[in-house]
Amino acid sequence: MRLVACDAMALALGMTSGLALADARARVPDLLVFDNDPQADQQLLAELVDGCERYTPGCAVDPPQGLILDITGCAHHFGGNEAALAADLQSCLRRRGFTARTALGSTPDSARAKARFAVRAIGDLPVEALDVETKAHQALRRAGLRSIGDLAARPRQPLAARFGKACTLKLARLLEEEDPHITPRRVRPIIHVERNFAEPVARTKEVLQVIGQLAGEAAVVLGERGEGGRRFEVSLFRSDGHVARLAVDTGTPTRDPALLNRLIRERIDRLADPLDPGFGYDLIRLAVPVAEALDNTQMGLETKVDIKAGGAALIDRLSVRLGSDHIRHFHAGNSHMPERAAQERAAVSGPSTGVWPAPAPGEPAMRPFRLFDSPQPIEVLASIPDGPPRHFRWRRNLHQIVSFEGPERIAPEWWRYRRGYESGGGGLTRDYYRVEDSEGRRFWLFRHGLYGREKNDPDWYLHGLFA
Amino acid sequence: MNKKIALPDSAYALAGSGKWQARRAGDDDEWFSLGAPAFDNRLQGGLSRHALHEIFSATGKDLATAAAFALLLTLRLEAGERRIYWISDERQDQTSGRLYPLGLAELGADPANMVIIRTLNMLDALRAAADVIRSKSAAAVILEVYGTAKILDLTSSRRLSLAAREAKALALLVRGDAIPMPSAAITRWQIKAAPSTALPASAPGFPAFDVSLLRHRGGIAPFETRMIWDHENRKFHDAPLSGGLSAAASSGEGDPDMYTQTGAGA
Repeated sequence: MRLVACDAMALALGMTSGLALADARARVPDLLVFDNDPQADQQLLAELVDGCERYTPGCAVDPPQGLILDITGCAHHFGGNEAALAADLQSCLRRRGFTARTALGSTPDSARAKARFAVRAIGDLPVEALDVETKAHQALRRAGLRSIGDLAARPRQPLAARFGKACTLKLARLLEEEDPHITPRRVRPIIHVERNFAEPVARTKEVLQVIGQLAGEAAVVLGERGEGGRRFEVSLFRSDGHVARLAVDTGTPTRDPALLNRLIRERIDRLADPLDPGFGYDLIRLAVPVAEALDNTQMGLETKVDIKAGGAALIDRLSVRLGSDHIRHFHAGNSHMPERAAQERAAVSGPSTGVWPAPAPGEPAMRPFRLFDSPQPIEVLASIPDGPPRHFRWRRNLHQIVSFEGPERIAPEWWRYRRGYESGGGGLTRDYYRVEDSEGRRFWLFRHGLYGREKNDPDWYLHGLFA
Repeated sequence: MNKKIALPDSAYALAGSGKWQARRAGDDDEWFSLGAPAFDNRLQGGLSRHALHEIFSATGKDLATAAAFALLLTLRLEAGERRIYWISDERQDQTSGRLYPLGLAELGADPANMVIIRTLNMLDALRAAADVIRSKSAAAVILEVYGTAKILDLTSSRRLSLAAREAKALALLVRGDAIPMPSAAITRWQIKAAPSTALPASAPGFPAFDVSLLRHRGGIAPFETRMIWDHENRKFHDAPLSGGLSAAASSGEGDPDMYTQTGAGA
């Protein structure tokens, strides 16, 4: 076992990362050691980076122990002073018990190097700050180049010839000549509106009020763009760095603040563990990551109820409350297998699609009113093994069959099977019977497998119930 | 017991059919017929489309039949742009099967015009039903409830009933495996599958229902009849009541509102 990381005090005692635990214990017998848990570290970093979104939407994790914030144009809350922002971040982190070093730079590479090596000017950085192989560092040192300043003063071409193009590219980034930009952890929303509080708000009622105001502001911006949001995200930044996120999806683009407010309220009501404001939220942000075109509509003089809009709003609302998967539309499936001939999909994902068969004139329905997800096994007595059923037992009730129609033979979709092209490898054929029992109930039964050819003792199943 | 349950019902009932007639005359738009002349005659024209109706299954085996009857009632409305919402319990899919759109289409329904809502508990279902009705985007809402549901009492059904009246939507409450309890529904029906008239080669015929009216707020006396659904014309037909079978089945259920009726023919 070896040490992976040491804190300042351990470093002062002469511990270094990579030192064997036995050696370390020999030197300092009462050394405190903890198991390394990279996953927990990552999770912690992710939490921190979420909290940093209060400063800028462009936040990224810089493993193993860094955060990179793109604060271009984000310092206005601190009077345009970026150093004040950094100081605020540092004090926030200190309050949570972290030791952090901040540095400002025009490129992520330069800021990272400055923070790592605790150096103010780029020229003073050691060559190790250059993000290349250790071999290259050694070679540079041997050549007498100790700092980035030495390196910057020399022509680049021999450097590229000796250490490769990547080296000069890294150098250019370090010298703030080229900005590679960071990839933020979250996609930057199209629109975001936010409210800062001098004093944290803790009451749900006030929070909802603020969200309502933000929804109004977002609606104005969306209106100017001629768009409506399909997804809205509310981030509640707690003063201790925790961030609660709520998201609502809508089936159609919308920018109606009243509707939005209701949806978010519904969402908060439905939270599995209720919002915990703790000491209060000091920043509330409403973001619209997904928006679609939505034309302005003119209000008519007569008050006509827009049924379509009412239906869409209803579906959004119920989807937020019950979960979007619980509100569904039917979609026709492209298959002749009964269970695949129709599907259900969440109603927020779009209207019903497909063509449904028209009822056949002069014939009763050939397909059941209700279908079982998994066909129900039944005991059937048939007069001959491949003949129609005489009576069957389902859920302990015996049903005497008085009339039947069938069989309707439905072949399996052999192309779905791995060895379906071989005889017998494509699944079992089903013989469907539409039957009516002595009490007038109508069922849809099938025999699974052709007697003698596919199976010697085919099973029977009940697949659906007719009206 | 019988009397105790019946009391709150009568408190809400409209007194006598004279008032019923007077009220009916006001709004012709409110009524929809089932298409079967004898049946519609007995109902004095049809059912209210702005009200709550209860549909009970006669036995535990008639759940699908009762649900189908509710659906067929909604097909008698001219839905237009308005949709039909079907609310049921999520766990019910396993025991009674899912609605199968191909079968619905063959009964004359338009699956594209339906919205399926599955809830986890009764409270969600009731809230969803009330929201659907109030949104005014629903032509009809069908709420399927199986077993005894304590929450579905006089108050909650009254709430649904008032919402339906206000929003002019048809609300249908399908109850399976349940004992009728006092409710604010305007009518209460009991549905049982009936043997169909066999087609040539003794194939099962068009869906037939034994329909019995258990209760009617307008004071129409309970009766029972048999009807056949005609999906081509989207209407019901009267079928001759075939005596003993259906009468015997429905008389033993012990509905508090049901009178002991003899000779319930036309």
